[in-house]
Amino acid sequence: MKTLRALVVVALLVVVVALLIGRFLVARRPPFGDSIAVYYAKSDGTTLGKWSVSLSPDARDLASVAFYATEQAVVGPPPDVMAVRFPSGTIARSTHVTGSTATVDLAGAVDTAQSGSFTESGEFKALVWTLTSLPGVSAVQITIDGARVQALPGGHLELDEPLTRQSW
Amino acid sequence: MNRSRARAGSGVFAFAVALAFAWGSAAPALAQTAFAPDYWFAGTHLSFDRPQFRSGALAVAGDDTGLGRFLGKLNATLSYQPGQSYVVVTSGDRRAIAFTIGDARYDVAGVTQTAAFAPYVSGGAVYLPFADLARALDVVPVDDDGGATVLQPQIASLDVRPQGRVTIVTLRGASTLHFKRLSADGDDRLSLAFTGIASTLERDRELAGPALLGVTIAVRGTPRNPTTVVDFRGAPNGTSALVPSDSANAVSVAFAPAGVALGGTAIPAAGDATVAIAPLNAAPPAPSPPPVSAGGPQTEATPTALGLPPAGVDDLHVIPIDQGLDVALGITGAVTYEWHRLTDNRWYVDLKPATLAIDAQTVPVQNDAVTSLRIKGFVGPTDHLPTVRVALTLATPRIVSLVPTDTGLTIHVDRLDDLEPQKVGLGELTGGKLVASIVPLPVIAATPPPDSAPLSGGGSSSSGGPPGWKFAPAPPAGVNARLIVIDPGHGGSDRGAMHNDLVEATLNLDISKRLRALLVARGWTVKLTHETDVDVYAPNDSAHDELQARCDIANAAGARLFISVHTNSFTTGVLNGTTTYYYKSDSYGLADAVHARLAANLPTQDDGIRKENFYVIHHTNAPAILVETAFLSNPGDARYLKSSAFIQSVAASIADGVGDYTSPPADGN
Repeated sequence: MKTLRALVVVALLVVVVALLIGRFLVARRPPFGDSIAVYYAKSDGTTLGKWSVSLSPDARDLASVAFYATEQAVVGPPPDVMAVRFPSGTIARSTHVTGSTATVDLAGAVDTAQSGSFTESGEFKALVWTLTSLPGVSAVQITIDGARVQALPGGHLELDEPLTRQSW
Repeated sequence: MNRSRARAGSGVFAFAVALAFAWGSAAPALAQTAFAPDYWFAGTHLSFDRPQFRSGALAVAGDDTGLGRFLGKLNATLSYQPGQSYVVVTSGDRRAIAFTIGDARYDVAGVTQTAAFAPYVSGGAVYLPFADLARALDVVPVDDDGGATVLQPQIASLDVRPQGRVTIVTLRGASTLHFKRLSADGDDRLSLAFTGIASTLERDRELAGPALLGVTIAVRGTPRNPTTVVDFRGAPNGTSALVPSDSANAVSVAFAPAGVALGGTAIPAAGDATVAIAPLNAAPPAPSPPPVSAGGPQTEATPTALGLPPAGVDDLHVIPIDQGLDVALGITGAVTYEWHRLTDNRWYVDLKPATLAIDAQTVPVQNDAVTSLRIKGFVGPTDHLPTVRVALTLATPRIVSLVPTDTGLTIHVDRLDDLEPQKVGLGELTGGKLVASIVPLPVIAATPPPDSAPLSGGGSSSSGGPPGWKFAPAPPAGVNARLIVIDPGHGGSDRGAMHNDLVEATLNLDISKRLRALLVARGWTVKLTHETDVDVYAPNDSAHDELQARCDIANAAGARLFISVHTNSFTTGVLNGTTTYYYKSDSYGLADAVHARLAANLPTQDDGIRKENFYVIHHTNAPAILVETAFLSNPGDARYLKSSAFIQSVAASIADGVGDYTSPPADGN
């Protein structure tokens, strides 16, 4: 009887340990591969191109990658690629993912550049497509200096609600 | 003996640990006082608030004021979000330098390199390997005679790019490239001296191109005050000009051989990239000769009778919209299309040459607009071209339009019926972008002047214009059928874009007033959101308050149409053209009619109709469009915008488009 009880306890322990190991492995499985796609708007302002940037093996959590993707999209493709870009001096301060929405806080020149509707559309389209290519992200809320705004000063694009790929 | 030796050993160990601990505590202070490097940068000493050392290399905090000054001089920025892994420095020439905390590898514009140590966080600040960062920013340490280390920004990139018979050379530097022209105007040789910057590219290069024979780069001056002289040896009797670049850290010069026209900006005696505003208008390269058949088995798509390989239709996506339907087709490659509307509300479009990369299928659709949807591939019985057909059965004779997208083509079935629908139409897509409408738009006469023609009741006008174009819905109850609200973009404290001595707010108001005069003469009641150059809500108000105030005017007045007039801009002068934006599906018809007139009448490039969530065309109740008349940042468009004849033509085209879209304004409401 004692032997049976011991066997049951051992079996239960094995199951619990297996479950814990499985859970640990699932939790550790990075959701990203070696690289992510970053989009840019070509000089017609509408058509998108993309390039890829590599990820460090130990920095593939969604929070870090979302911020990194934001940074890369704001910087734009290598300088010899003709692209619609955020104005020089635009700073991405943070990116936080809550549910399926990434909230991107921008500052600097984006707030003052008076870029015009063409540039505004292309730069935000590229940013939205970049972030919504990350798993689980389908919308992007833009904030400026930490505050939600209806539009950029002197701007055109409506920014108070999250932008999605269907916004274009 | 062994025990006492062990005790002595443990005592020494404890002393060493204590010493190491004390050293570790004092190290940052010692580093700051005793080992702070003596850097010379941009004409002054460069010091850091709290330098540290790792692996014998200098570590600088991301929020250090010295680093801030260093980056600022280079037009670079640093972004770091506490708690996350990546630190990105953006160089002045728009390269991303990406560090990862805990990883010595870093990425410079896609190329992975290894730093002296991995970035780390200490005291809430992220510390970066300064020497590696400086190198990535093309800043090189050089010893000078005074014992200091000079941080020299470099011209580190020379990009020579042939474009037809023209050669474009782009120099990229670590900091703003200020130049002085040393050669005389008209010389075959162009010599530019860049002050305050050295170069890692010092040598002579033979290019032997039709426009540029060679380039020599030499560095003069002292380590603290270097000057890089770039000598371009142009072709005999050739020409050169500055062309726009996308950064202050870059200068682009175009060279053309004798007899080839060259646009661009004449090279002044001194300047930087900001003086280059005129785009290059060189002749396009000659078309490639047609491919020669190899005669063997072909592994690529077979060219067709149209000279194009078949495109692939690889996606079909049905999106119900407000009482209508969008059918989004994914298309890879160039196609022509031809659509037909049959008398029994069937509608179909044939794409050719195209093959179907998904299954032929009947898609179950049940909504207010469409009752069935089918897609199939076949070979045309007469032209023998591979063809993909999408066929719809419409619930009622809806307006159907084809809208090019990034990935192909969307068939838009509107919630409104087409009162006199066209039966057939043609078009062409290349790579998913509409490039031409093969069938010219119908010629429409202007709407008759007010009170001179009887109301047509929405049918054909008395002017003799062809039917089938007047698809504007009857205005709903509560709408003033005579009223159009015009919104001159910007104004007051918001000047809009300013380029080429033009101010957007002033231009928009001028065009709007001319438009008002034309529309009033044609029987409309017109209200401007602002009659003079003022803010609509209040000076220096928020964007929301200002834009909503404009919408409120239109909504409160019950406007039948809303037209916002703008002038476009870009960061450089390279873009030009006219664009009409709409957002709500009920506004597409107005956008289409107005843009057809703009495209037909204006000399500017036709940049097409685009759907965009712009505030004022979203939050107005009436069908609403936003017209970007031309790019004031483009020298060519700017010349147009300085012409009153062009301004008048813009206003007249919009007015004609309104006339095309609407029935003549009704008497009363």
